Amino acid sequence: MSVATASAPQVVCEGLTHRFGSRVALQPLSFEANGPGVVAVTGENGSGKSTLLRIAAGLLRPSGGRFELRSGGIASPAATRFRHVGLASPELGFYEEFTAREILRFAAETRVLSEPAQAASRALDEVGLDSRADDRVSAYSSGMKQRLRLAFSLLHDPPLVLLDEPGSHLDEAGRAIVRQITERIGRDRLVLLATNDSREMDLAGTRIELRGRGLGDPS
Amino acid sequence: MPAPASNSAAAVWAILRKECRSEWRTRYGLNAALLFAVASLTSVSFAVGQLGERTDLLSALFWIVLLFASLASMSHAFVREVEGNTMLLLRLVASPTEIAMGKWLFNLLFLIVVEVVTVPLFMVLMGAPSPDWGAFLAILALGTLSLATSSTLIGAVIAQTRGRGALFAGVSLPLLLPVLAAAVGGTRAQWVGQGVDAELRLLAAYAVALLAMSLLLYDHLWED
Repeated sequence: MSVATASAPQVVCEGLTHRFGSRVALQPLSFEANGPGVVAVTGENGSGKSTLLRIAAGLLRPSGGRFELRSGGIASPAATRFRHVGLASPELGFYEEFTAREILRFAAETRVLSEPAQAASRALDEVGLDSRADDRVSAYSSGMKQRLRLAFSLLHDPPLVLLDEPGSHLDEAGRAIVRQITERIGRDRLVLLATNDSREMDLAGTRIELRGRGLGDPS
Repeated sequence: MPAPASNSAAAVWAILRKECRSEWRTRYGLNAALLFAVASLTSVSFAVGQLGERTDLLSALFWIVLLFASLASMSHAFVREVEGNTMLLLRLVASPTEIAMGKWLFNLLFLIVVEVVTVPLFMVLMGAPSPDWGAFLAILALGTLSLATSSTLIGAVIAQTRGRGALFAGVSLPLLLPVLAAAVGGTRAQWVGQGVDAELRLLAAYAVALLAMSLLLYDHLWED
């Protein structure tokens, strides 16, 4: 991984674990990642990749251990971490009655970006959705929605980008866009890339393999 | 570190506008609320005619119609987000308190729009006596504030639970009963020429207490 720069983020994870009731969703995990760079998170289905990304985004409070995101030398508390993180997850849904441009503009306005319309256009252009930006999401294919998830994660140019199975539902052109985007943001940001796709793993300089039992550890 | 107040206000404003635009396009709640109000008032009107001087029945019926016309839509504001997988989107762009405040303002606006149609319709179809407008509007405003605040809190609490139906009834009753009791009592009192100070104080105190409790709770509600 690249040498850390002053503005690039640092992630510190110590004994991080999570349970949903009695089921272990994430086995104790410790690692440290200094941006810029791309870190692949791999493991069987149910080994905790998505859980790790949700904790990283501040959406889940871990059952144990510590996850810390430092950007510019300042730690982001979990409650406000969403401001410093972009997440593209298969679980991310969109308002079907809105157009892609309206959704990104809404997200940009809620994040209080200085030029919401331009930020939305830029993100849509980057994922190749500019020609369909004014169509309602209800008319989108699953691949187009996946591109919109990527655009949503890049909208505010966050220091930490969390990509959960970013190539799912995408055709070859879409996968090429994922590669370009991952390589670009990996140059000055930190990317945590949850995937089991060998082509996506090749984009990463570092790999973390989660060794849960798969499909959730019942112990 | 909390966001600056101006940023939070901008986020709340953006969520309120999104809610209005979404409602305008889907008419998810408004059509159902207005249908309930018109259908129930028309049915009662056909069945019993004008209630005229029966101010006890009038005041109870008035708040029952308002409550049931608006409650389903207002308390499901968060459930719709969870079921449409858009709650994740919201949580990635705003804090839980900002989300809830945007929804709360929308619920207030929603209730006001329902009332703009329902109140004149009620007065005409039920043959209600002319109210003491100052007292009536004060009770209506504080009752609206309390209803919107409690239904937003109920919606936020039940949104991510599995037994939403049962929990909805269980949480709603204790939270809504004080609002209804004070609002019905105050509405009747102004029609019979009595003072409404006690009801106004109760509704105002309840609304402020609920709002303060909500603001303390929202940031902790959705931590899995």
